[in-house]
Amino acid sequence: MIHARMLRTAILSAAAVLAAGIAHADWQPTKPLEIIVHTGPGGGSDLLARAIANMMEKEKLVPVRIQVMNKPGGNGAVAAAAISEKNDDPHTLGLITSVWIANPLTTSEAKVTVHDLKPIAQLMLEPAVFAVRADSRYKTLKEFIDDARARPGQLKQSGGSVTSRDNIVRQTLQHATGAKWAFVSFPGGGERLAALLGGHVDIMVIEPQEAGEQVRAGKLRVLAQLSESRLPGYPDAPTLKEAGFDVRTTPQIRAVVAPPRMPADAAAYWEGRFDKLRQTASWKKYVLDNQLEESFLPGAGLSKSITEIERELREVFTQAGIKTVR
Amino acid sequence: MNSFPRNADFWSGLALAALGAYIVSDAWKWVYMGEDGPGAGFFPLWYGSLMMILSLALVAGTLLRKPTAARPPAIRWADLRRALTCWAAFVASIALMPVAGFAISFALLTWFIVAVMARRPQPVALGLAIGGAAAFHGIFVWALELSLPRGLLF
Amino acid sequence: MDILGGLLQGFQVALTTNNLLMCVIGVVLGTVIGVLPGLGPPATIAMLLPLTFRLEPTGTMIMLAGIDYCAKYGGSTTSILLNVPGESSSVVTCIDGYQMARKGRAGAALGMAAIASFIAGTFGVLALMLVAPPLARLSLAFSAPEYFALMVLGLTMVVLLAGESLVKALLSMLVGLWIAGMGTDLFTATSRFTFGRVELLGGIDFIIVAIGVFAVGEVLGNIEAAKPVEMLPVPKGLRNLLPTWDDMKRCRFAFVNGSVVGFLIGVLPGAGSTIASFMSYGIEKAVSRHPEEFGKGAIEGVAAPEGANNAETGGALVPLLTLGIPGSGTTAILLAALILWGFKPGPLFIQDSPALFWGLVASMYIGNVLLLVLNLPLVAVFAQLLKLPAYAMFPLILGVSIVGVYTAAGSMFQLGLLALFGLLGYAMRKLDFPTAPLVLGLVLGDAMERALRQSLMMSQGDPSILLRPIPSVLLLLAAVLLMVPLVRKFNAVRVKVLDREA
Repeated sequence: MIHARMLRTAILSAAAVLAAGIAHADWQPTKPLEIIVHTGPGGGSDLLARAIANMMEKEKLVPVRIQVMNKPGGNGAVAAAAISEKNDDPHTLGLITSVWIANPLTTSEAKVTVHDLKPIAQLMLEPAVFAVRADSRYKTLKEFIDDARARPGQLKQSGGSVTSRDNIVRQTLQHATGAKWAFVSFPGGGERLAALLGGHVDIMVIEPQEAGEQVRAGKLRVLAQLSESRLPGYPDAPTLKEAGFDVRTTPQIRAVVAPPRMPADAAAYWEGRFDKLRQTASWKKYVLDNQLEESFLPGAGLSKSITEIERELREVFTQAGIKTVR
Repeated sequence: MNSFPRNADFWSGLALAALGAYIVSDAWKWVYMGEDGPGAGFFPLWYGSLMMILSLALVAGTLLRKPTAARPPAIRWADLRRALTCWAAFVASIALMPVAGFAISFALLTWFIVAVMARRPQPVALGLAIGGAAAFHGIFVWALELSLPRGLLF
Repeated sequence: MDILGGLLQGFQVALTTNNLLMCVIGVVLGTVIGVLPGLGPPATIAMLLPLTFRLEPTGTMIMLAGIDYCAKYGGSTTSILLNVPGESSSVVTCIDGYQMARKGRAGAALGMAAIASFIAGTFGVLALMLVAPPLARLSLAFSAPEYFALMVLGLTMVVLLAGESLVKALLSMLVGLWIAGMGTDLFTATSRFTFGRVELLGGIDFIIVAIGVFAVGEVLGNIEAAKPVEMLPVPKGLRNLLPTWDDMKRCRFAFVNGSVVGFLIGVLPGAGSTIASFMSYGIEKAVSRHPEEFGKGAIEGVAAPEGANNAETGGALVPLLTLGIPGSGTTAILLAALILWGFKPGPLFIQDSPALFWGLVASMYIGNVLLLVLNLPLVAVFAQLLKLPAYAMFPLILGVSIVGVYTAAGSMFQLGLLALFGLLGYAMRKLDFPTAPLVLGLVLGDAMERALRQSLMMSQGDPSILLRPIPSVLLLLAAVLLMVPLVRKFNAVRVKVLDREA
């Protein structure tokens, strides 16, 4: 009767799930894995990909070799297109950053966006700190912002391109506090730091690692940190929220994506591998050494994260007067 | 009939003036001076305009110059054809690479230059073609593990 | 730690078997990489990094530094023999080096490249050792306005690089500026001149233009003659296999020029060896007693840029090792490597890790000597390459160009660009437009625009920021350089007038 039918459905469903589970467990890579990155050799994503390859091999998490494939150009657009072309190849992955989300918003030439790719896992967040010269008169971020409010446009921040996190944070803070200060773009991190140390600008947003040495040598002072909680390297610097600025700062994520039609079992396999990886000692050491922030999300969570980031970016760009094309 | 150099400068001047005009027309669409400083259109506007002015000066120069007494050499069309044929072969070889790979395309290019353009005997041409392709492949793909364009085969 | 003591310690470190071996490997590998177009020090060093995790840091740094300055030398080989720039810093060497080869003096050119690299490279290390910390602090005074003035100075070199027609040279430079402007604008995220192609969002890689215009254009130009004679005469006799004493005397100032200019520009973060080589060449031509020889095979035109790009290696290490700021692509990777090994590059680096610093310094002295010792005999070997008949050289050059561009850029699109620029180079030859200003505009144009806009952003639109002390001096120098050819013409006219009166 009804019970029999329900029982039969239950058994069939259980069998299906079991079969799927077995199918998942069965898939193994048979060819070397290729991780595509959007920087040239030595760039941020490139180094991370190589580190991942190293760690996976050391912890014996995959039975095949891992190679890094550099596809620089177009701020990630070329790499995105390359990943998309791989269609259903289960042996290709890509390493993305928030730039991949931001860039297509302002450039119409990008034909493939991060939405066309399959999300696998979010790995981590990249925090940053606000730094001024050690002999600067600002001891807290509030002092800087108050001064900026009093003298609009006189203070200067060095940073990357106008769509980079440095400027996005600036726009968000300006909007929230009513202060206004100038932004000077430098393509290279070295130049930005040199501009600050030389007194040509007043403040910058800088990676914790880069700042570390300068702080130890007494050249820089950290005013606040852009992170969820205080980094172990900077126990004395308040986070933005603690400093009194409860604004949403669009996070810089590092995540893994796959070609759009990668089979479900392969995708689940890779998601599982990265989940395993982040629990290993080597990974934890890497995160600590490089002053990053753990923030693992599986594929579905990554998808939500990307949508949220894109929404925030679009808002900030429109506020800042940066033209968005999609 | 205008002398060749005059023609050459005349036409190249016009071409560059056209390029300058194109640059200026694009630059017009962009922001000239933003609130933070010069915008994207600032520089292109200036160098595009300068390009137009200088190239028109070039053209004007050719028109105003008095014809020289000695006739300058006429265009050697045969030479031009040879060079452009070589270029066409180069482009064809590159276009072939996604299909046939570097080694085969390069061998074909070499063979073409040696056998057809330099009119050397076939054994020499084939030898250089195959030898050259093998050498490139051997050094770059095997020994150094760099990637060269791969076709359907290799 | 005093300098002599440090140096002594450094030699002790550098002369261990392991480190000496690493130095040799670096020198050999570097030269090979330099000869191969498209493959440069940054890419190679990045690829070698994972291997080096297991090796010991000092030895690895020694090897990596060796790769860097020997690659700069190696790049001159294909520049001189094939007109294919092996490195972007060797583009300027093509101008006179290749012409020397056409005149049968390839050996002298190659030899002079090695000698100049040795002299300037050693100077670079010396300066690094002696004046690094104070110079580094001074270099912080250099920012956008100063860079702008420096770029203006560089662009006035166009006037010096101009041959017959100044108008054509300027037009050539403006086309170079246009190509440099292609891509996404840093400050406003606007796409400029990308023709809707995603591959152009990042602009066109300089080396593609250089190889296309110089090498491919040259092949097309040469293949015109139905019966091309031997493309390059093989150097006969020892006189042409190595530089003569006369050559060495002529290049006295070029050695100084290359050393100083290369080192100083290396110290500035952001300015690289390409700019250093251009500046040095321009200055050499400006002060030369026979400037009309430049572009036709003047040996100083090889000595100056080759010296400059080697001295730049030492210069770029100054901000890296004394401030923790990377000054170039290569030093950025070296910075990452040092951090990975657990070192802390920053103002306290020399204090904290004297063994590494002094070991590196000492090894660079040794490496420069090795460069000379290993490469001078090779000059004769390379010169034999010229025995190839023209019809064999053409495919070789085209093949090397394709490989160079593809390994540097990695896509077919760039090869298409290569073909396009090859045609452009040919057209420029036929129409008598000088090619050097195009390359100069390409290299400097982007940087100059950026520096100007950064300066005005810093000063809230006030152009007087450009009249700070350092930029004013540089702009004045530029104005003076602009006067040089005018003064020369004036003098020539004056002489003619006086002659007539006599």
